[in-house]
Amino acid sequence: MKTPPSPKNISTGLPDEEAFSARNPFEEFETLTCRKTGIPLDRIVESAEAVMGRIRRGYEKLLEEEAKELVWMVQYNTIIKAYEVAEKYVKEIDYTIEDIEDFCFALENTQRIPYLIPGPAGVYLSALCNNAKEEEMVLKLSELKTEINLIGFRLPSGKRLVIEGDGGDFTGIGLEGGELIVEGSAKNWTGAGMKGGKILVKKNIGLHTGEWMMGGEIYVGGRVRGLGNIVEGKVFERDKLVYPGKARYPNLYY
Amino acid sequence: MEERDLQGLIEEMWPRLKKKHLYPEIPIPRARKIQDSSRGEAGQGEDVGLEMKQKQMTINPAFVSGMRGRMAEEQVVEALLDHGISHYTFCPWDFQTHLRLYAEAKKVMGDKELAKQVADHFIDVIANTHCVKKGLTPIPELHRHLKKEGMEEVIASLYERIWGMDLGISAPGKRGEGHEDIVRRLARIPYLNRSQWSESIHRFARCLKLLLIEDQKEKDAQGGKGQSSPEGEHDLTRYSNEEIDQGLRDYAQSTMTLPQFRDVVDDFSAELKNAGYGMEGGMGRGRGFPIDADILFYTKLAEAYSIPLRKIPLKQRGSLHPYSHLPWEIGLPFQDIDVWTSFGKLMPGMTQVWKRREGKGRGKNEGAPDCLIAIDSSGSMINPRKNLSYAVLGAFCATNAYLRSGSKVGVYNFSDAPMGGKDVLNYTDQRMEVYRTLCKYFGGGTALDLEDLAPLIGGRKNLDLFIITDMKITNLETLTGFLGQIRNRVTAVHIGDNPYAARFEKAVEKKGNVSIFTVKRKEDIPRIVLGKISTYFESE
Repeated sequence: MKTPPSPKNISTGLPDEEAFSARNPFEEFETLTCRKTGIPLDRIVESAEAVMGRIRRGYEKLLEEEAKELVWMVQYNTIIKAYEVAEKYVKEIDYTIEDIEDFCFALENTQRIPYLIPGPAGVYLSALCNNAKEEEMVLKLSELKTEINLIGFRLPSGKRLVIEGDGGDFTGIGLEGGELIVEGSAKNWTGAGMKGGKILVKKNIGLHTGEWMMGGEIYVGGRVRGLGNIVEGKVFERDKLVYPGKARYPNLYY
Repeated sequence: MEERDLQGLIEEMWPRLKKKHLYPEIPIPRARKIQDSSRGEAGQGEDVGLEMKQKQMTINPAFVSGMRGRMAEEQVVEALLDHGISHYTFCPWDFQTHLRLYAEAKKVMGDKELAKQVADHFIDVIANTHCVKKGLTPIPELHRHLKKEGMEEVIASLYERIWGMDLGISAPGKRGEGHEDIVRRLARIPYLNRSQWSESIHRFARCLKLLLIEDQKEKDAQGGKGQSSPEGEHDLTRYSNEEIDQGLRDYAQSTMTLPQFRDVVDDFSAELKNAGYGMEGGMGRGRGFPIDADILFYTKLAEAYSIPLRKIPLKQRGSLHPYSHLPWEIGLPFQDIDVWTSFGKLMPGMTQVWKRREGKGRGKNEGAPDCLIAIDSSGSMINPRKNLSYAVLGAFCATNAYLRSGSKVGVYNFSDAPMGGKDVLNYTDQRMEVYRTLCKYFGGGTALDLEDLAPLIGGRKNLDLFIITDMKITNLETLTGFLGQIRNRVTAVHIGDNPYAARFEKAVEKKGNVSIFTVKRKEDIPRIVLGKISTYFESE
């Protein structure tokens, strides 16, 4: 009885069959030692992105919880409530001024931050700045298409915040002794309810400036469109004292 | 270092380097000729180690010699070539990416020269970091021994931070005051993430803006151009003409915004002129045209769209066929010589040429007739020199289709024609002339003057009419009446939907020689079929 040939003995008729089947067409690359090394850049970028992710999540949570009230009804109570929520998230994060700058940059790129809503963004940025380790901060907001409201809210004593660009409504409200510098203009209700400190707006300022202001100074390089009901404090227009001093009717266009 | 020794060294190293970089498609680098190096071509002496032109990398022997005693020659050459190759294999990769990065930098810097500097530094940082990340490169060693002043010092500090290597900057007091902040911010940018390069260069430019402005002021005060980069300059000469063509096409398509494209083309106009753009005609002397960025934008966009053109049977018109022999005389064209019957000799009396006659086969030869493009440039149309105009883009595509088929194109550009708002170009195969006429914008009202159109058509049966308008024409009835009288193929394209377009469609719906297309988006342009008609009068 014939035994079938073992599979090893079956020949396909190809020349130098063994060598052919064993040859790896990419063997030349096997000798290539392409050793990818980890460099500090990987670690720096990874950690920056992790912090950025947490800052972004905090902002999104603030939007979820407080956006409705802040968007439709800007009342001092709602602002305080939103600020407390923002501060709660911010305090959990270990960040630097560069992270705040990256967040501002991300605000310009709407793909990365889904919604730029002027009110909540301002409250959140204020919470970030007020709780930052650094005492001096510069925020580049000049390329934002939307002006951010409420920037510099409750800026504490010893902090100096410079805004490159314009501020929106309610800039520097409730200022608590810090120094806020706006390189461009600021809109209405700037410095409302501020308790102390200094606001310097290099260009123009809107209506209700210093409404219920309790102390501190507002310096305006351009024109003041209208003053609010000021309780105490000083307002300067082009180095000239406009409050107190010359009788000025509140909210008057001039 | 001797040029021959350096060339030998490069040839010896090249197979290993090619393998290391996974066999890039670039020619073997060359050593620059000694006389060029000593002359200091383009103002570069020992400072510049690598030059790249048309994908050809050239190493400067003077630079390699200048590094002697600090670094082995092999290492200098390897570092330079690693850097050069990674420009082709990683960043910027192609011309379009280079333009995109430059455009982003320009948005921040607002100045052409500063934007170019930012883009150059950014591209260099990425290329070097890519090599370092891959390992086995002497680039850090090269940077350790390079002279560092101003910007170079900041970039070297950045390298120290992101590569984790000592490049001789970290010594206390050596790092410039205030640069620490910049370096810290620069180090956070994800250089190796290609998908974020647009954002990254934005951040990179912001960090360096003030420093570069100060640097520029210092250079201006010294009255010099400043130091060249040892790793070579990043001008457009490194790209081949085909790459520039492709890059401009891709960039036009990716941006789709005329002002942005124009901005970039204007900034690179000198380099583009060197690459042959803006040169028209053939040999000879005379002033060339400046590059018209707007026309270039539409040209590059139109290259991406191919509009089909229906051919028609042409009577008594076809290719010339050899018919009979004639004795050759001096002055007759050589290409018609029949070598077989001339016995390979070129001699009057013996040599014979073919006499050619035009084929007559009716219905067998198909071709495209000439075309008259009537384009509306009234106030209701988009100004093609301000924003992307689909009308002009469509007309460019139609022009390409006819010129490719060997036909000629005439243009009737009109707004309020009876009041002089018109431009007429007679039938021509000069593409740029057609483009220039199509790009003219008059604004104002819209009215056709049939007295202009009739002589252009001139009773020619073999002529197509391509009309592109939003149909908001004061004397639309006159146009529809006119189209009813002629028997030529008419392709009417209306931009956007409006009641006038609907009225026009209704008026010509029974006419077999008129086909109508609507263009609302750029994607509608390729759907146009030129000469698509239901009845061929010619074949009746």
